[in-house]
Amino acid sequence: MMVTGYIQTHNLSRVYDGQTWALNNVNLTIEEGDWVSIIGPSGSGKTTLLNMIGCLDKPTEGSVVINGITVNTLNQRQLTQFRREQIGLIFQQHYLIPYLTALENVLIAMYYHSSVNEKKAIEVLAKVGIEHQRQLNNKPSKLSGGEQQRVCIARALINEPKILVADEPTGNLDQKNGQVVMDLIHNLYEVGHTILLVTHNMDIAKQGNQILQIVDGKVWSSN
Amino acid sequence: MFFRILRKSLSRQKGKVLISMIAIIMGASIPSAMLNVSLDINEKIGAEFRKFGANLLVVPKSDTIEIGIGDISLSSVKDQQYINESDIYKIKTINWSKNVFGYAPFLYQVVSAKAKTNGEEQQVVLTGTWFEKNISLEEGEIFTTGVRKINSWWWNVEGEWIEDIETISDTIYCMIGKSVAEKLSLNLGDEIEVTYRETVQETTKNLTVVGIITSGGSEDNHIFVPLLVAQSLTNRENRVHTVQVSALCIGCPIETIADEIETKISYIEAKTILQMTNAEMNVLEKIQMMLALITIIALLATILGVSTTLTTSVLERRTEIGLMKSIGAEDRKIGALFFAESSIIGLLGGFFGFLIGIVGAQFVGILVFDSLVTPQVIVLPIVLGISLLVSLLASLVPVKRAMGIEPMIVLRGL
Repeated sequence: MMVTGYIQTHNLSRVYDGQTWALNNVNLTIEEGDWVSIIGPSGSGKTTLLNMIGCLDKPTEGSVVINGITVNTLNQRQLTQFRREQIGLIFQQHYLIPYLTALENVLIAMYYHSSVNEKKAIEVLAKVGIEHQRQLNNKPSKLSGGEQQRVCIARALINEPKILVADEPTGNLDQKNGQVVMDLIHNLYEVGHTILLVTHNMDIAKQGNQILQIVDGKVWSSN
Repeated sequence: MFFRILRKSLSRQKGKVLISMIAIIMGASIPSAMLNVSLDINEKIGAEFRKFGANLLVVPKSDTIEIGIGDISLSSVKDQQYINESDIYKIKTINWSKNVFGYAPFLYQVVSAKAKTNGEEQQVVLTGTWFEKNISLEEGEIFTTGVRKINSWWWNVEGEWIEDIETISDTIYCMIGKSVAEKLSLNLGDEIEVTYRETVQETTKNLTVVGIITSGGSEDNHIFVPLLVAQSLTNRENRVHTVQVSALCIGCPIETIADEIETKISYIEAKTILQMTNAEMNVLEKIQMMLALITIIALLATILGVSTTLTTSVLERRTEIGLMKSIGAEDRKIGALFFAESSIIGLLGGFFGFLIGIVGAQFVGILVFDSLVTPQVIVLPIVLGISLLVSLLASLVPVKRAMGIEPMIVLRGL
């Protein structure tokens, strides 16, 4: 198979407040369809790396190239557009807009992307197991943690992104709900999504085809 | 979707919306009350000022007879030039006719007056005028005017005002100046015989005194009769010497009204009494400046209050804003949401502020003018516009903060 380097970082560094090196000279190559699990102790720079690849932040030094586009050269507006078209984000704390229903939390991502299609949103929610009218019309506070995370996954998928960036997606879930979420992510990997997943759980990390260990802002090992 | 988000976002933060709206209501009620009072004040203050008499004098061109208002001598009549009584109604047909509060024609003649009770005789000025005359305007409206309307405040009348008459009957009522009453030793109810002599012809009429006028001016030396009586006595039908006009002009100079009257009646001159007019304008301008100052201060306080509340709201919604940005919301969409929220708060607050302002205006009206203030519909869009502007200005800092929130706070979990 020809190595194309779908996601590449070159000498990637991020310094906070001029002195804290959250990432230090990171060089990575991730192929399309890879599942890369990122592990490491707290404060090692895992989330910072996700911020860079997820186009939520820009590096202090170095570059991030995704599908041939050097994203750190894009302006804020271009970066936002790239993010909403190419990247789906799944958060540890399954952030949802508290005053919108489960369905509306998915629709809002469509609204920011292009146009709202309620039928498609219901289909995507059904794929992640949110299909009852009660679940669709409930606000996040009325949903279980597992249901909320599944809504987050549906929102991340609704605009058909190529890359899924997940920051400890099972971190706040019990084992049963965690397994449901991991099954969903596994299915997405199976159908060809490129996945970057931060976790502390080695069993989850092993489900990916590549594991990056980050320590003190540097890639310690990669296999 | 935008309106769905907007509606739910507003309904979720009812407390803060309510606080912001109360601030806008309080801020908007001030300009509402002030504008209602200010727009109505022109009429109210105008009416107050108009009690002090006329501020425009209409005379025939080239006349030089000694005439004036109060003790202010404005001109004199040398040759007998007149204004046709039938032309006077044109004064109320000028473009600024609504600013014409009232007017009264005057026909003067020196006559011999003899008190029937004691035989005292004096040469006095007999003045024919309208007292309280109803005139039909072209649009069918009845306009009440006359000397009673324009001079009621500074003419202190003992007894009664007389009424205008259509035909001359046997009993003719008159009002006399205080000096005339003293010189001829006349009291209310006494009769006077007035005689007008023109070459060989002599006309006499008997008058009954029903009112004694004290003005402190030249009117104290006059005998006032209905215009028809003076015209009949002096054989000058349809003729008057002067017309006193009481006009107030806030949106235009008084000279404009004078010019328009001169255009309508080509053979007359309309002279302004600038001293009084300028004083009126100065007082009105100062009152309006004071009202504007109070309004500006109130609105600045509102901007500060609303801005603080909205900034607190933005800080509390940092995660929500960061989340919206992380899933693709551009800054302009975040800004649009907050500006729309502020606009709704501003417009609703403005509407209720308008209603409360009307109530406030009534208090001012009763306290200052002893009368209610008529609500002005035009104030509603003005107050809504002001409230909208205030709420948008108050949103500038919070919206800038909202747009500055980084999407990565979601992943950082801040």
